[in-house]
Amino acid sequence: MLSYAVRRLLYSVVVLVAASFLVFTFVSLSGDPLGQLNLVPNLSEQSRQNVIDAKHLDDPIPVRYAYWAKDAVTNQFGTTLLGDRPILPDLWRVMKNTLQLVLIAELLAVLIAVVIGVYSARHQYSPFDYAATTFSFLGLATPAFWLALILQVLVVQVREATGHQIFPIASLSSVDHEGGLDFVLDRAHHLVLPVIVLTVASVAGYARYMRASMLEVINSDYVRTARAKGLPERTVTMKHAFRNALIPLVTLVALSFGNLLGGAIVVETIFSLDGMGLYFYNALLANDPYRVMAWLMVTATMIIVFNLVADLVYGYLDPRVRYD
Amino acid sequence: MRSPVRRRSALPAIFAVAVVASLVFGPSAPAGPEITTAGTVIFVHDQEPPSLRGGWIDNNLLATGLLTNNIWHGGQIYDSRARLQPRLFEGKPRLVRTRPQTVSFRYKAAAVWSDGRPVTCEDLRATWRVFVNPQFNVVSREGWKDVRSVTCNGKSGTVVFTRPFAAWESLVSSGVYAAHVIRGKNMNQMFNDSIPVSSGPWRFQNWQKGVQITLVKNPRYRVGPPMKLDRVVFRYILDTNARFQALKAREGHVMEPQPQLQIAEFLNDNDFRVQRSPEYAYEHIDIQLGARGHPALRLPHVRQALITGIDRRQISQALFRTIAPGLPTLESLVFKTFERGLYKPNFSRWRFNSARAISLLRSKGCTGGPATPTDGNDDIYSCPGVGRLVFRFFTTTGNQLRTLAFEVIEQQLKRVGIGLIPRFQTAGQLFGGTLPSSDWDLMMFTYAGGPDSKITSNTLYSCGGDQNYGNYCNRRSTAAFNAATRELDPKKRNALLNRGDVQLAVDIPSIPLFVRPKWVISVRGLSGPVLNTTSEGTPWNVGTWQLR
Repeated sequence: MLSYAVRRLLYSVVVLVAASFLVFTFVSLSGDPLGQLNLVPNLSEQSRQNVIDAKHLDDPIPVRYAYWAKDAVTNQFGTTLLGDRPILPDLWRVMKNTLQLVLIAELLAVLIAVVIGVYSARHQYSPFDYAATTFSFLGLATPAFWLALILQVLVVQVREATGHQIFPIASLSSVDHEGGLDFVLDRAHHLVLPVIVLTVASVAGYARYMRASMLEVINSDYVRTARAKGLPERTVTMKHAFRNALIPLVTLVALSFGNLLGGAIVVETIFSLDGMGLYFYNALLANDPYRVMAWLMVTATMIIVFNLVADLVYGYLDPRVRYD
Repeated sequence: MRSPVRRRSALPAIFAVAVVASLVFGPSAPAGPEITTAGTVIFVHDQEPPSLRGGWIDNNLLATGLLTNNIWHGGQIYDSRARLQPRLFEGKPRLVRTRPQTVSFRYKAAAVWSDGRPVTCEDLRATWRVFVNPQFNVVSREGWKDVRSVTCNGKSGTVVFTRPFAAWESLVSSGVYAAHVIRGKNMNQMFNDSIPVSSGPWRFQNWQKGVQITLVKNPRYRVGPPMKLDRVVFRYILDTNARFQALKAREGHVMEPQPQLQIAEFLNDNDFRVQRSPEYAYEHIDIQLGARGHPALRLPHVRQALITGIDRRQISQALFRTIAPGLPTLESLVFKTFERGLYKPNFSRWRFNSARAISLLRSKGCTGGPATPTDGNDDIYSCPGVGRLVFRFFTTTGNQLRTLAFEVIEQQLKRVGIGLIPRFQTAGQLFGGTLPSSDWDLMMFTYAGGPDSKITSNTLYSCGGDQNYGNYCNRRSTAAFNAATRELDPKKRNALLNRGDVQLAVDIPSIPLFVRPKWVISVRGLSGPVLNTTSEGTPWNVGTWQLR
């Protein structure tokens, strides 16, 4: 398995380099990098030329890519297009914020989905099963932006009716907070609504997966054998069925997690969370290919790593799978 | 034998510990405890500055000015009536000579930096040197590059210009850097994340990136009303709806909203105070007269048909009926409706008249369109030698009011046999690429500005003007606008600007629509904020703000 993992990582490097060149080219071609400057009346020509010289904007794209690649490797992704501000500190900061949001949301989604999926499968066609199915479809059909906006409006309505604000509706933290536990609680308080939005969609999908997977396993021969041996139903379900039914879900979660680390753009924008999604959105608006590239490299790496993790976890959980 | 069950059940716990650890110990946690104080006003805003170095190529935002105007305080500031009022200066700067143009000023004895050093003429000289240094990436050297010398004598100074510069008063009155802080420094790297001193009513305290910037009272500020508040915190909330909801949820006390229909919810809410005033920004439709535009637009009668076919009063009513009723139509491309004594409605000769629009086209041999203004009409006029009157109409996407304006205009022009093809683009694409390319027919957008913007109308409307992307060229208006930039007598200058505007009204290179209204919404418990339509913004009088 180790050689398999190493080979995958080596292939991934090639993929990353190719992807980075393509994206750099397309982002650079999609707009004038000095577009924002062109808006400015009386722009100093010397200032414009300084930027062109510093970022080699009058060189062909492959040359500019080479400069960017050198900066990315030797200078922590270099600096922004305008203003020469280091990119990595900001990227690191937003990555941490997104990690908090996504970790909590995914953990919660998996826990809830597993419970719902297992119970639904065990009590197939029961009222709970029907209700869970309905909820799943509703959750899958509900747009994240709509849910986010509705939750904000609801919180404000509750405040206007009762004078009490149950959750903050934007931002990562309050104006004032101490460090330590107070900061943790404040942060958690601010993440409630965004986590609800992310969790709803995830729970809906994961619960369906878990249910389907459990149903497939529950009716298999070895589970029937376990029952025939006289094992308690709880043991049959949790020790034999559940563990095997979990395998596809684990794979799915690992893949989703990698994607989500690119940032839940809609949720972060609506709740003004300083995360990867908002970072990417602002970089695109600013036509800054350097920030976009840095975001891409981090996100692509996360996706590749978690794809690999998903494969390895699958191989670990299912002894029948062998990687050469 | 290994136990996979125990190992898997440990994973959630490991995740939980990782999350808590990142929250408590990671760089995303604050450096130290925040002190809770009374007298804190939260200003909700949408644009977080990329740095605190305003006026630089990466940071030409009004949002930055809201913070730094009260840090790099000016010799004078614009009050709520757009009049320059002395702040750090003892009185108004004086124009002592016109040839060469020479200006003198004196800083107040009480004008000091927050570190105790006095504000002197050396600060203005240092600021001038920053703006003319070719290595520093400032947005504009306009005015500063016309300064020949700055001679200092302590608090007093004399500025000599190489050639007349009409907007001299606002130039010398602008905010200055602290010479002792910036001496020898690379200004392209200064004030990225903090500002160590202040000459204004507040000073910078800290910046939680992505969340808020905190400013605290400057106890050494004596030249104007000192802050009664302890702090003003700028909270950055990108989403429009979320900003309004944040105000209702009392997560903010004051905001300057963009023109949005949500403002209507606050107008009749007794918990909030809404102030409104027209500002210097104005909405207009530029017409492309260059080779990359539709050839029909180079014909005067087509432009005349356009302006008379558009009911501009109806547009402002449709857009602002609920949030700014009674907004007047703008009838000048140079002066604003509230500039009493200066504003002349030179474009009023082109009042809305659909029938006249049609007769203008038909009288020049255009055919194929309706004989009379007709609702639901689909027939489009064609004019000899230039083809069908169907124009590409560009504007920004994602703006409710602009979308509505386009729909109204499209409907009005269809009635008279002129068609529009919508081209909605992001602001970056529109202004960064399309506008300067001149590859468009009609473009609707806002020109921002201030009290002195009209002085540089030549950049927009003179032959070869830097911002003349519509490629309009008329010698008479060019001569008038160019002369205005060098005329030091305000009366003569305004007469020149009006002469240029009269010519614009004849040639119609652009269609003025309305002056944009500006709003400030504040909670009732906050007294003091008075709307200021200049770039000073609402915090111009923060010294008078009080929270009950």
